[in-house]
Amino acid sequence: MDLILQQTVNAFALGGTYALLALGLAVVFSIMGLINFAHGELMTIAGYVLMYCGLAGFPFALSVCFAVMAAMTAAVVMERVAFRTVRNASGATMLVTSFAVAMVLQVLFQNLISARSQPVIIPDFLGSSIRIGDVVIGTNKIVAIAATLAMLVALELFMKKQKHGIAMRAAAEDFAIARLMGIRGNTVIAGAFALSGLLAGVAAVLWVSQRSSVDPLMGFTPVLKAFIAAILGGLGSLRGAVLGGFVLGFIEVYLAAFLPASMQEFREPIGLTIVVLLLIARPNGLIPSATLQAQKV
Amino acid sequence: MRITAPRSHILPALSMLFIAVAAVAVVSGFTSATIARSLVVFLISLTAISAMGLYSGNSGILSFGHLAFMAVGAYASSLLTLPANIKGATLPGLPDWLADTTLGFWPATLAAIFVTIALAMLIGLAIWRLEGSAATIATLALLIIMHGVLIGWRDVTRGAQTFFGVPRETGIWTAAIGCLVALVVARLYRDSVSGLRLRGGRENAIAATAVGVNVPRERFIAFVISAALMALSGALLAHFLGAFSPKKFYFTDTFFLLAMLIVGGMSTVTGAIMGATVVTLVTELLRRLETGIDLGFMAIPQVFGTTQIGIGLLILVALVKRPDGLSGLLEWEERFIPLRRKGVKTVPLIAAQSEPVIAQNLTKRFGGVVATNDVTITIKPGEILGLIGPNGSGKTTLVNQLSGILRPSEGRISMGAHDLVKLPPHRFADVGLARTFQNIRLFETLSVFQNVHVAALSTKGGIDADARTMSALNLMDVAHHADAQANTLSYGDQRRVEIARALVCQPSLIFLDEPAAGMNREETDDLMERLRGLNRDLGIGILLIDHDLALVNALCDRIVVLNEGRLIAEGTPDEVRQNKAVIEAYIGTSNHS
Repeated sequence: MDLILQQTVNAFALGGTYALLALGLAVVFSIMGLINFAHGELMTIAGYVLMYCGLAGFPFALSVCFAVMAAMTAAVVMERVAFRTVRNASGATMLVTSFAVAMVLQVLFQNLISARSQPVIIPDFLGSSIRIGDVVIGTNKIVAIAATLAMLVALELFMKKQKHGIAMRAAAEDFAIARLMGIRGNTVIAGAFALSGLLAGVAAVLWVSQRSSVDPLMGFTPVLKAFIAAILGGLGSLRGAVLGGFVLGFIEVYLAAFLPASMQEFREPIGLTIVVLLLIARPNGLIPSATLQAQKV
Repeated sequence: MRITAPRSHILPALSMLFIAVAAVAVVSGFTSATIARSLVVFLISLTAISAMGLYSGNSGILSFGHLAFMAVGAYASSLLTLPANIKGATLPGLPDWLADTTLGFWPATLAAIFVTIALAMLIGLAIWRLEGSAATIATLALLIIMHGVLIGWRDVTRGAQTFFGVPRETGIWTAAIGCLVALVVARLYRDSVSGLRLRGGRENAIAATAVGVNVPRERFIAFVISAALMALSGALLAHFLGAFSPKKFYFTDTFFLLAMLIVGGMSTVTGAIMGATVVTLVTELLRRLETGIDLGFMAIPQVFGTTQIGIGLLILVALVKRPDGLSGLLEWEERFIPLRRKGVKTVPLIAAQSEPVIAQNLTKRFGGVVATNDVTITIKPGEILGLIGPNGSGKTTLVNQLSGILRPSEGRISMGAHDLVKLPPHRFADVGLARTFQNIRLFETLSVFQNVHVAALSTKGGIDADARTMSALNLMDVAHHADAQANTLSYGDQRRVEIARALVCQPSLIFLDEPAAGMNREETDDLMERLRGLNRDLGIGILLIDHDLALVNALCDRIVVLNEGRLIAEGTPDEVRQNKAVIEAYIGTSNHS
């Protein structure tokens, strides 16, 4: 029982990080139809900023602010430099473009920083754990869950109440019409990228604080998972992305905890088989995007 | 196998493939050993991407998972060619029958291809109905799953360790033969009946289904063929390298091959060749730079990752300039060799024998919205029935149910012995129900001829498809546009092509959803005459939705009126015009205050 509780907390923490990343992918996808593989490099950038700020002796809270801001800036620059030019191309073209951006950035990290994994200074309290009854829970897990919840609530409010959030939702429904109604296309897209950068930055801080290190390929695996989560949830649907992230987190953590030792090697194949089975049952994702249903025949 | 493209295109295309591959093989005899090796790798990559293009290009579904099949081809063929003594030493856990078998390269490759086909059929059956991004993610999952299995299944694959000792059988001529096979199969498939149908489905799945294409089935066929060719490329690669590990069939190489495919243009074989050539050239050039070069007056130091950055920038530049890839959407011969379409016969498009379509109590709900509410109508054979009503009254939803695009929430639809509620959507065209769409749904990047041809090939057993296509184009007076790309036509012409595409199915009843929308008076009058002619000469029944009441009144024998999802009136144009409920629905109740 304790084990289940313990693993559930872990699943929420991991799933929350996936959810933030998947949300970042979904925000951009819902507006311009781009699946941004270079999202992971935003994470890596935030990770490196965190590392350098730590080396410079900044307080952790300040480092986190810088890291998140760096990811946001990088996202906006990325859109301006690489994605604006292929904005109206097919999904495959945009996907490959984003992959090219990711590849270029990875090589730059390897050459300019280091190909090896670098340690990141993480405050002690994130390494400690607290005991509730018989359950021992890492502080970093609690922080991760709290941060995820805070981000989700803030995003919900932003999308529902704030002018730019409403503009973004309008653009996601129908980009052309939104522009005709006086919403600036470039501003909305830049905003979407900034938002995805923010989410990637926060996810990066959570990710790094569990591992205390950063390397040039750091962002690849989590964003691959987030990509799967976003589609599992229903590509382009924000609620779907969150749900998909948590579902994937639960699948992974539970398989790691409860699969017999002899089967552990096949953990990833089994987990993905479950995802594919879920997709076969619900081809448009767990919570399909509204624009999909509204498609007129 | 039936090829839909004219001989004047296919023959030059195939000859050119043969010449190109042979040229590469011959040239390699005169080059240094390093370049000769690069050429072999080039041919193997080209084999792989023509296989990937066969599936992704024709279906429009980007696949990340094809290297899984390459891996199966590599491991399966190597297990069969590996000498028994090496097997005994490196793979002690192998089952006896496999440990004792040693085959030559080609038999082993053939066996590996069959194993892969079986596996691809299994996977294809599982992901049969997935579309778009869900299908892409399933292929991504396939890649990761296969990687996990290769690493986990130590007895057979040596896990993450290098699998070595494979006889190096792949020389330049072996690679050339394999590559030529893949290119020819990919080129022929693109213009086979299945390939053309699949391309129709890629452009517009709903329209393809409505003209009789079973899109998932064609997708399945392409998936299995492309998997088989991937296995071939895997076998070639394994017997070229001699040693490899699961890493060789994972993300790095997937992206590398995808980059070739997309830079070149994934919907053509020409594109695959161009992509492979350009990316290989740039890679080879950069790889030499990467190790550092002494230019005499200065030495460029070694820069780690030059190749990757170069490829990355190449992709960015190429895709900004040519979003559809270097070769665009057409094969070279389609671009440069003009078609002559003389002497194609025509046949009269006699309507199928018909029975009345009887719809009873049709109700369709979308969440809380009731789009059609308990509608009962009968459409008699050979009549022209008008369906009118204010916007949002459920006209299109009713036609969508009658034509199989939507399933009714409740109610029955029958036509003679056919229960239309149970009939799969792609079978409607063949039982005699064809349609056009409110928002034009042509196969935009296919030619006008191909648009109609897809429908002709997918109905009436595909008999006389060429002649029927020409007849339908003539009937709607768009034959002079036959070789134009469909989305370059004017709005009115696009509507006419859509009607031609429906007519070629030789329907007994055709649903026209606002055919006159966007047409001027003259065009509308012309359309009216043509529709009357179809009804009179060919006996085709018509269900016409339109807001142009003059058109509807002049053309229709009978009119039904929908309002807020309910049928509110039914009768001759005169009766309907007098009907109080109709006047209310259109003009509103008079206000007696």
